[in-house]
Amino acid sequence: MSTALYPLASLAQIRNTPSRADGIPEDLELDLRAYGCKLIHEAGVLLRQKQVAVATAQILFQRFWYVTSMKQFGIGDVGMGALYLASKLEECPIRMRDLINVYDLLLQRAAHKLKHPPAPAASTSTTLTRTVTHDFKYVPMSYFGSTFYDLKDALVVAEMQILKRLGFNVNVVLPYGTLVNYLRLLGLTEREDVSSRAWGYLNDALQTPVYALYAVPTIVSAAILLATRHLGIALPSSPESCWWELFDADWEDVWSVAGYIMRLYRERSPQDQARVLGLVSKKAVRAWLDDHQPIAPRS
Amino acid sequence: MADVAGPSTPSRKRSRWDDDEDNTPPVEKPVQKRRTKSKPPAAGDTRTPERSATPTVPPQNASSRARPHHSLFVPPRTAHPPLVPSRSVYCYERLNSIEEGSYGVVFRARDKETGDIVALKKLKLEEEKHGFPITALREINALMVCKHENVVGIREVVVGDTLTQVFIVMDFIEHDLKNLLSIMPSPFLQSEVKTLMLQLLSAVAYCHERWILHRDLKTSNLLMNNRGTIKVADFGLARRYGDPVGVGGLTQLVVTLWYRAPEILLGATTYSTAVDMWSVGCIFAELLLNEPLFQAKGEIELISMIFKLLGPPTKETWPDYNTMPLAKTMTLPAPHPAQLRQKFPYITAAGLDLLSRLLAYDPDRRISAEEALKHPYFSESPLPKHPDLFGSFPSAAAGEKRRKPDSPSAPVRAADYKLLTEFD
Ligand SMILES: Nc1ncnc2c1ncn2[C@@H]1O[C@H](COP(=O)(O)OP(=O)(O)O)[C@@H](O)[C@H]1O
Ligand SMILES: [Mg+2]
Repeated sequence: MSTALYPLASLAQIRNTPSRADGIPEDLELDLRAYGCKLIHEAGVLLRQKQVAVATAQILFQRFWYVTSMKQFGIGDVGMGALYLASKLEECPIRMRDLINVYDLLLQRAAHKLKHPPAPAASTSTTLTRTVTHDFKYVPMSYFGSTFYDLKDALVVAEMQILKRLGFNVNVVLPYGTLVNYLRLLGLTEREDVSSRAWGYLNDALQTPVYALYAVPTIVSAAILLATRHLGIALPSSPESCWWELFDADWEDVWSVAGYIMRLYRERSPQDQARVLGLVSKKAVRAWLDDHQPIAPRS
Repeated sequence: MADVAGPSTPSRKRSRWDDDEDNTPPVEKPVQKRRTKSKPPAAGDTRTPERSATPTVPPQNASSRARPHHSLFVPPRTAHPPLVPSRSVYCYERLNSIEEGSYGVVFRARDKETGDIVALKKLKLEEEKHGFPITALREINALMVCKHENVVGIREVVVGDTLTQVFIVMDFIEHDLKNLLSIMPSPFLQSEVKTLMLQLLSAVAYCHERWILHRDLKTSNLLMNNRGTIKVADFGLARRYGDPVGVGGLTQLVVTLWYRAPEILLGATTYSTAVDMWSVGCIFAELLLNEPLFQAKGEIELISMIFKLLGPPTKETWPDYNTMPLAKTMTLPAPHPAQLRQKFPYITAAGLDLLSRLLAYDPDRRISAEEALKHPYFSESPLPKHPDLFGSFPSAAAGEKRRKPDSPSAPVRAADYKLLTEFD
């Protein structure tokens, strides 16, 4: 496949993201990134879009927040724009109208959940978005209503802004082929439990910024690390022969990627869960920032 | 402009940069705040040289081990380009428009920072129904993926006053081959044709290796600098192959008529790298003849010209001919052998063999770029000429006047040519 180098965020961009510079705490930014990616994923499922397009969209979405603040653009609009753009890049374009309808549904559902939080007893899942609660009813918008046109404008602008702010370099390399190669090199091809678990970590990692931060070999190594540790499989890791060095990955980097992934599985408080649901638009983020001035970013 | 805060609806306002005499930025341009000035991607200095980025995220087990050697296959993090927003088109000073009246507008311009002379191609974005056009995405992507000595270099993509103005910035290349052929006093020498063909084939092989079909190879899309180097340009119809043919498969629109492969003419719904190889064959012939091979006015005329030159397809030359959608509508002329030798009396047997393999009917058996590079034609005498020894020509694109060809060179060329033909 393509050998062109895909872009990664620079150290300066990583140290102080535009959102953090605007006073959005790191924790909140990471939560909003994850939620935005979850929305992309859910929209992709509802649209029966191909996984490659969804993954590409999530990676573009993650890159975007290294050049733009969430105070300037909402995660809903940018996610929608990223999925629209990625679908073209992967030669499986979707209709604007379908995408807008799906996002409208997802956002209405989120708003509903915010208004009617599930009873604490019933909350067994830790995921941020859950299945539709029984009393949620989607009210389809009218094609001639202003909502549709507002969303359409937002979509067109978001797509263009992603392109512009990423300098039109939208080259994305997905990790799946590399995973297959590495498992073969490690003699783990037969272990289906390892490959499916590692594959799952790679997909979950799409909700974190790692694809905008590290090269694919590092991310794949982290997925293999997590999978083999979970399954209690020992791989050569003595100082003289560490398996990840075979793949030109740095231990620190691999460990850091693993950290990003593990962060997704933390138990979250209902407040934290509710917080992201209400901050999908830039307007809401701005209001939140006004309410939380002055901010002492916790790190 | 690149930093207007907040989204704005794309307006239909036209670009000032390419319309007006005065190409200084409009005064209402919002002043940039906070954001540091974006740099051209080539600068590569936006990241500090220190290596491992350790984001401030749990868990922190920073065991500082010695950095292992990197293999050649995995470039270090620092080799990846940083995320750099598009610069404004006002970073360039407009000089002259290169191709007036054609579909896409191409300008010659100067980078205000470095003084470099570049070419800017303005993308057509009028039709906004489906957001940013997928064809423009393919063109930009193909250029970014196919970085090669013989593919025109893309420097960056810049934006104008509104969201509808996007320009591809390329290295400026003095000539396109179509113009050059028209001002040349005599055809290229065999040794020169070989050099040009090797360059073209290596560019095409490189694109095909990266799963990119060009789909519009022709002499006006081949640029040539004054150092005898060809650069493949205009990826406006490029696309990845292996991808499903998307909505409204473009089958019939692909490739300018004269360079169009027979399977496309006969309505094939799938096509492959072979369509580019047919075009390469037409270009090869054009370099030898100093004029396009098939100058047909329409598709029917083109098909009959092809049949006439190559003989109508047979069970042997194109086994699947009858399965082509439009085959039934064709009446084949009486069988006769190919007339290639009559058309190209001066080329060696090896040269003729290469040409007939490029112009093979059966797309599955048409020679690939990779194979063509190894063809004996390129290793027999006369050997490919070193590009430095190519003459230089006034550049029409730079607005230079055509001068009378230097008299000393013309007779030499004629003599060379005669010598060559005697080898045949
Ligand atoms: N990088 C360049 N340097 C110099 N001239 C160029 C360059 N790119 C294009 N041109 C000129 O502009 C013409 C049109 O460009 P092209 O990319 O082929 O656009 P179109 O899609 O309109 O055919 C070319 O035939 C060539 O003469
Ligand atoms: Mg052209």
